[in-house]
Amino acid sequence: MTTAPALELDHIRRTYGLVTAVDDVSLTVAKGEFLTLLGPSGSGKTSTLRLIGGFERPDSGEIRINGRRVDHLPPYARDTATIFQTGALFPHKTVAENVVYGLKMHKIDKAESEKRVKDALAMVRLTGFEQRYPAQLSGGQKQRVALARSMALRPAILLFDEPLSALDLSLRLQLRAEIKRLHDELGFSAIYVTHDQSEAMAMSSRVAVMNKGHIVQIDKPDIIFHEPKSEFVFTFIGESCCLPVTIRNGEVRDKSGEPVDLKLARPPAAGEWRLYVRPSRVVMGEAAAAAENRIAANVAFAEFLGDVYRYHFKSGALELFCDYGGPERFQPGDRCVVGWDSAHMSVFQ
Amino acid sequence: MTAVTETHAPVLTTEARRARRVERLLPWALMSPALVISIIFFGIPMLLMLRMSFNEHAPQRLYVPGFTARHYVQLLTEERFVNAVWTTMKLSLVASLATLIIGYAFAMLVWLKPARWRLAFIGLALCPLLISEISIIFGWWMFFPKNGLLSYALTSAGILSDKISLMYTEFAAFVGLVYVTLPFCFFILLSILDGIDKRLIEASGDLGAKPLTTFREVLLPLTWTGILVAFAQSFIWAMGTYATPSALGPDTLWTMGYLIQEQMLGKSNWPLASAFSMILVVAVAVVMMFTRSLNARRTSFHA
Repeated sequence: MTTAPALELDHIRRTYGLVTAVDDVSLTVAKGEFLTLLGPSGSGKTSTLRLIGGFERPDSGEIRINGRRVDHLPPYARDTATIFQTGALFPHKTVAENVVYGLKMHKIDKAESEKRVKDALAMVRLTGFEQRYPAQLSGGQKQRVALARSMALRPAILLFDEPLSALDLSLRLQLRAEIKRLHDELGFSAIYVTHDQSEAMAMSSRVAVMNKGHIVQIDKPDIIFHEPKSEFVFTFIGESCCLPVTIRNGEVRDKSGEPVDLKLARPPAAGEWRLYVRPSRVVMGEAAAAAENRIAANVAFAEFLGDVYRYHFKSGALELFCDYGGPERFQPGDRCVVGWDSAHMSVFQ
Repeated sequence: MTAVTETHAPVLTTEARRARRVERLLPWALMSPALVISIIFFGIPMLLMLRMSFNEHAPQRLYVPGFTARHYVQLLTEERFVNAVWTTMKLSLVASLATLIIGYAFAMLVWLKPARWRLAFIGLALCPLLISEISIIFGWWMFFPKNGLLSYALTSAGILSDKISLMYTEFAAFVGLVYVTLPFCFFILLSILDGIDKRLIEASGDLGAKPLTTFREVLLPLTWTGILVAFAQSFIWAMGTYATPSALGPDTLWTMGYLIQEQMLGKSNWPLASAFSMILVVAVAVVMMFTRSLNARRTSFHA
């Protein structure tokens, strides 16, 4: 056991023709850490994962696994195991044959590999499914087998390539919790690629938010959520309302230049600004009167979301929405005051 | 109430009975156009040929109605004909194996390359199908002789010092056969490969398998059906075709196709030609049955 981190990326760059998919990415995954690469499609997160797995070679930079440089090695010589989006189970092999495949390739002796197959299938709760073929499994079961197949190898780092995105919602939540439980129990190191921010928040030790081939912020999930460093991170993580305003002589105007009834506790300097608020932090009714920032707006329309109503407001050219679970009901056209505290607002120029 | 419906056979109404009859007949009705074409163009001629093969042959006559197995005996005992069967089998086997290997490599290349190359490759593979077999033979006539393209290329590249001719050799016949059967083989294999998730190749490598192991463990089993079909199709084509081997091969290359043609058109011995054709049909059927038996696992993996 070395003291080196499970994985180090050192100024990795990869271009496809004129497109730079991965641009100067550096990161470190400590042993036992669960790091998520989160970003919109085309942000370079999957490319980064494929570079680590060895399916692509970087143009420049170094990749080290357990301190050993691997960026020149093919996938079969790297101590990684990937869980693919589609599962990529061998359709002509049974569940047991799929799981034992990697062990056979690594020439693990029979008794040990039998034990590992048994353990891996028990871990993903598929004991008894050994003789089934992938075509006889449900989507969730296939991903569990893929997980068992990769985990049985006990690689230095597990690579998850959006493994849940092909599943329906309830199954996704269930498997997400299962992966989290396995990580807590076994303490493997992992990189998890996803575009689903709730997945990233729920599972990760740390989250690296990617955009246009760069890592724009890398931190613990709660810090990413509460202290986004950039406008991109703020808008990409969680829901947000954007209020584009112009401030001149202490007066707040919307884009069209009309003054709006928006009272800010600490107004920014004169100029054009975009104010961002989380709808979950926007309050209505009595609570709004006590809020630090307030806007008077008309209800445009309401959506019934079950627990709460989501009210969409309009004030001049400004639009925002908030969820309200109180007893009052508002109709389109009603004039209300909504508010939020300064701590929940981010301002970008 | 439920006990009653369980113990008594359900009484069908007239409408339900009619619906069942339609259900039973519908598949046949849908198949009938293909069935009619098959019977008219394949079934009936085959029966006529079978009948013809038992007719008597007389000089100056194409055939004389009668019933004799003499032609079969002649074909199975006379050395010239027996040799032709083996020559054809051997040539077809070697040619279709070569077709299979080249076709597989080419199909894999197209499958693995980015999609933007695909159309160009497929166009390339279609070329031989757009040209008639006769034109292709003329092409080879430009390619193989002493003053042909091949000889010229080899001498000017410095590989050979003297001009050579490969025209009218078994090698030329072999190349010609491979060229004719290759497109079919390629398209069969490509269609099979297209049904395979390319991530499987990556997954296999990721789990520690070297490329050759991945081929043996993943690609080969998943394409096995396609390999058999492609082989059978190349083999059958090579067995039956006669223009290419007789135009490119030596005068002594007596394939079954050539001898059938000779008996039919040259010697005007229709019963013998028919009997030989029947032997060809049986040989092809045997090969098809053999390849089918190799494809033991007929269940689909993609259920």
